[in-house]
Amino acid sequence: MTSHRMSRVSREIARKQLELLGQAAGVRSAVLFTSDGFEVAAHAADAEASARLAAIGSSLAALGSAIAGEAGLGEFERTLIESPDGTVIIQRVGSSRAMSLAAIGDRKAVLGKLLWAVQQASGQLATFLEVNRAADGAPRAQRSD
Amino acid sequence: MNGPDVQGEFKIIFTGPMGAGKTTAIAAISEITPIQTEAPNTDRISHAKASTTVGFDYGRITLADGQVVRLYGTPGQARYRFMWEILGRGAAGVIVLVDAQQPGALVQMDSFVDAFAPLVPPGAIVVGVGRTGEPGAPSSDAFAARLQARGIVAPVLSIDARQLADVRLMVQTLACVLAAGAEAGAA
Repeated sequence: MTSHRMSRVSREIARKQLELLGQAAGVRSAVLFTSDGFEVAAHAADAEASARLAAIGSSLAALGSAIAGEAGLGEFERTLIESPDGTVIIQRVGSSRAMSLAAIGDRKAVLGKLLWAVQQASGQLATFLEVNRAADGAPRAQRSD
Repeated sequence: MNGPDVQGEFKIIFTGPMGAGKTTAIAAISEITPIQTEAPNTDRISHAKASTTVGFDYGRITLADGQVVRLYGTPGQARYRFMWEILGRGAAGVIVLVDAQQPGALVQMDSFVDAFAPLVPPGAIVVGVGRTGEPGAPSSDAFAARLQARGIVAPVLSIDARQLADVRLMVQTLACVLAAGAEAGAA
């Protein structure tokens, strides 16, 4: 388990933001994580699942950045994984590469709506995190595995 | 064993704990600009380094006999174990790097050897130990004795991951181990 240095209040606000995202049709769970794979906040995912999703999501975001760079496409924005039973979106949060958001949609989720909801959540989280950066200090984990 | 792929190239893995020098080693030896997937390290308690590999490193070298070797570096933290298994598929061998000055370096070596031994052919492991000369750090002999006590046969080299010659020596040693394994298999 990982405890992020953001204040409890900030993490709770981030979790509420994910909860709002969870109200979008077909969204099963969502996790906000640092670029080095630590969970910051989660909605509808147990502790073990959210920790694993944070680690895998951070790898995917890094691979997305690497392939976008190789292709000369600029900064990584998001990556999309589709499977018969659902969709996973890994979305960068804010202009820095410090955090990303993973949202899992089930087969009922409409891709366009899911993308829109994730983008909205990402924008709101980015604004919130930017405002609170000074209050909470730079993102840091308190321990790792 | 996991031999050369369809293009006649071998794949080897650089693994070890965070800060052992995996990214540095691949950058030191690769003949192409390495692909790196670094992210800012937010866990300064575990390690003070500024960034950490969260996907993989990739580089490539050609040995003196013309053999092309693809070099993959893993993330070091256990939460990225899923990447170890992905990267380990089809690997001909593994180089385990440890920093002798890190607390618990001997145990760290054990855990990476144990994690990767099932993913590579029997005996296809080389251990590179950095900073053995530092005060209080275990010697490379201590690492070799530890492996021997566990019945594991693997060359242990004292290395500096920043030095091309040291990294090349590890890769060549692994190539020799693989060749010996192939000969033994053919006999």
